Amino acid sequence: MFKSLFGSKENRPSKPRRNIINRFFLNAVLLPSSLYKRMGVNVSHLKSILHTKLLMDDRRPNTIQQTRAKKDGNITGATLGTMLISALMGAFFLVSFFAGKDYVTHLTIYFSMYIFLLASSLISDFTSVLIDIRDNYIILPKPVTDRTVVTARLLHIIIHVSKIVLPMSLPGIIYMAFKTNPWGSIVFMIMLIFSSLLTIFIINALYIFILRVTTPQKFQSIISYFQIFFAVFLYGSYQIVPRMIDRANLEGYSITGNKWAWSAPPYWFATAWQGLSKFDFEAANIAAIALSIVFPLASIYVVIKYFAPSFNQKLSLINSSNAEQESVPVKGKRMGSTTPAYVKMMAEWFSKKGAERMAFLFCWKMTSRSKDFKLKVYPAIGYMIVILVLPFFTKRNFNLDRIKDADAAPFIFIGFIYFSSFLVMQAIAQMSYSEKFKAAWIYFITPVKAPGQIISGALKAAMAKFYIPIVILVSTAAIILAGPELLPNLLLGLFNEVLICSLITYITVKELPFSMQQSNNAKSGSFIKGLFMLIIPAMVALLHFLIYKFTPVVYIFIVLSAVATWLTLGSINNIGWNKILSKAD
Amino acid sequence: MEPIITVKNLWKNYGSKQVLKGIDLSIYPGQVIGYIGPNGAGKSTTVKILCGLISDYEGYVSIKGMDLKKDTLAVKSIIGYVPELAELYDVLTPMEFLTFMAELYNLDTVIAEERIIKMMTAFGLENNIHQRMDTFSKGMRQKVLITSGLLHNPDIIILDEPLSGLDANSVIIIKELISRLARDGKTIFYCSHMMDVVEKVSDRIVLIDNGVVIANGSFEELQQQQGNQSLEKIFAGLTGNDSMNNAADALRSAFEN
Repeated sequence: MFKSLFGSKENRPSKPRRNIINRFFLNAVLLPSSLYKRMGVNVSHLKSILHTKLLMDDRRPNTIQQTRAKKDGNITGATLGTMLISALMGAFFLVSFFAGKDYVTHLTIYFSMYIFLLASSLISDFTSVLIDIRDNYIILPKPVTDRTVVTARLLHIIIHVSKIVLPMSLPGIIYMAFKTNPWGSIVFMIMLIFSSLLTIFIINALYIFILRVTTPQKFQSIISYFQIFFAVFLYGSYQIVPRMIDRANLEGYSITGNKWAWSAPPYWFATAWQGLSKFDFEAANIAAIALSIVFPLASIYVVIKYFAPSFNQKLSLINSSNAEQESVPVKGKRMGSTTPAYVKMMAEWFSKKGAERMAFLFCWKMTSRSKDFKLKVYPAIGYMIVILVLPFFTKRNFNLDRIKDADAAPFIFIGFIYFSSFLVMQAIAQMSYSEKFKAAWIYFITPVKAPGQIISGALKAAMAKFYIPIVILVSTAAIILAGPELLPNLLLGLFNEVLICSLITYITVKELPFSMQQSNNAKSGSFIKGLFMLIIPAMVALLHFLIYKFTPVVYIFIVLSAVATWLTLGSINNIGWNKILSKAD
Repeated sequence: MEPIITVKNLWKNYGSKQVLKGIDLSIYPGQVIGYIGPNGAGKSTTVKILCGLISDYEGYVSIKGMDLKKDTLAVKSIIGYVPELAELYDVLTPMEFLTFMAELYNLDTVIAEERIIKMMTAFGLENNIHQRMDTFSKGMRQKVLITSGLLHNPDIIILDEPLSGLDANSVIIIKELISRLARDGKTIFYCSHMMDVVEKVSDRIVLIDNGVVIANGSFEELQQQQGNQSLEKIFAGLTGNDSMNNAADALRSAFEN
């Protein structure tokens, strides 16, 4: 989700301008060259690595540029958009100035949000910035010291971070300049720099820790789950926390004097600001100043000096060694089929023998095993849970008793049935894409009569995996809490939803499953796109609410919906090769 | 003559898996070593150790009299490595990529640029020097990679499947280049699965299997030991097992149902 918020690191201004930006950053980070030299870094290597990395960042096209570049030349809007969003996030941080009664409290909250958001965006960006596996083949065999490589990585990250951080911190800086004084704003900026350094250290330490405790092979999947978790956590906290906050209580709150606060770095930065901006050098303030300056610097130094060598070693194993290890499978061990019986059963129920069933099973397995797919679709599960839990926090009078209430129950459960299609829609939208898109040649060399069979199998697998379980869950809850009278309506909801998904598939899906390459950050819009797609079910749900009380009408609609679904699925099955966009090359 | 590469009792394991089990090698300047072995025999691991990519090995490796563990950087600067996978920063142009490589090898930029142009021209890529490589074919990428491995005029050149993706004409160029470089006194460490090429270009063939050297000598010596047959046959005889011949039969008979 962070990629979507900030755009990814590829979002840079177009050529003439970005070169100025990059040159500025490059010169800026190379200012302490003599310090680097003393640390054992080869500055000319450092410069050329950084230069090359920045050049490459510039060249990676983003979605908007890719699609628009065909029509006109170079685009700068993407970066502006990214920076604008960063700035908006920064503006959102200003909320912290309305919580608590003094600046230490405001700023503790501000820095907490700042560090958290930065850390989250770094976690997702690090896998692309830090772990460019090609470095193993290109940079590591060259006579370059480990320390130079790590310093280059760190500085690259700092530049990358600055491009996010600068617009993000701007609202806060301006606010501080107006509310306090120029000096207060300058101290605030200094604290932002040190808290950024600390965040980089935290993420680095986290990565090093993960690399220490697990095998490099598992590293990337762990990071993926981390990213999923963070995205959901972040989304959840932004949704829930503001609702939970009781403003009246909060405005009078002050964090100062709380001993526990010392365990949280944001508090150091806040207290240090207090001390420096007001020239108030009491013992606590001096301690905070020392902590917020010394700790980030020392931690960065430790990363470079002590962790770096082993880190690189491990990193170089992420890709290389496992390839060799996996090439020797365990001998003499006969493996059974890996398809669980219930999946086979469902495949037999839902899909016709042949290409469709093959596609059903194939997509079922691919969606469980492809890291890429999981990373893009599984966060939707989290978002859904958050949104489902949300009402309990919003309204004090929204609770289980109210769900049982005869008036509200149908709305809630029918609403759930429609709303939970969010996940399956994300899955369908993502299903065409794969990192291993080239493997799609299998569709083209086999005598498949109609590719529609494959698409239909994929659709059914997505429905069976990402929708049916939720429907069963919601229906069970509905029957227990609201009684079986609701069953026809639930059924209608289910059929309508299947119809909607089938229609969307019929209209929009022009590619075979896992056959397309996804440009690096096409995913950025998927969450928004997914929400947008929810408009259709929402409209159908509204129509459904109009008739839900008239059971005979509901039955008629069930039949109509089922017939329409059946027809649509038939049409999908008949999609011919001429309609397929993926190519066999 | 002093060997340029000395490997003594080299052991390496990935966790519980022992990949190299006591490799001994002495390689002399001007030799082309064909380094062959079945998949998973430990070829790539050896190459990575020689390139200084893996340092937690046991045993002793010295290159041009330098201990690999102690003088890693000095060793790296006299080795040219052409990796097996066509890994490139392909959003760069060859010129950008290769000057970057040259900078990492501490080459003078002016000299480097001259060399790059000469070498790319020799490969027939003079018109592509300033094009981004993401549109390049596998063969073109391979040519850029080979250039990047030779750019700094290394004493030792490690080639890992250098011919993959190259067309027949380029293959001839590379094979010729290998023998010329060897004549100039360069040492070439050639890893490949293409037995016919190895047979022709190598002065000495080192065959490893399961992390152990099982044959080491010129092609003629191997023929004397193993009977007068092609390297492919010798390879199969040494590393395969009896079931090899039956495998084809078994494959064919799988249709009989």
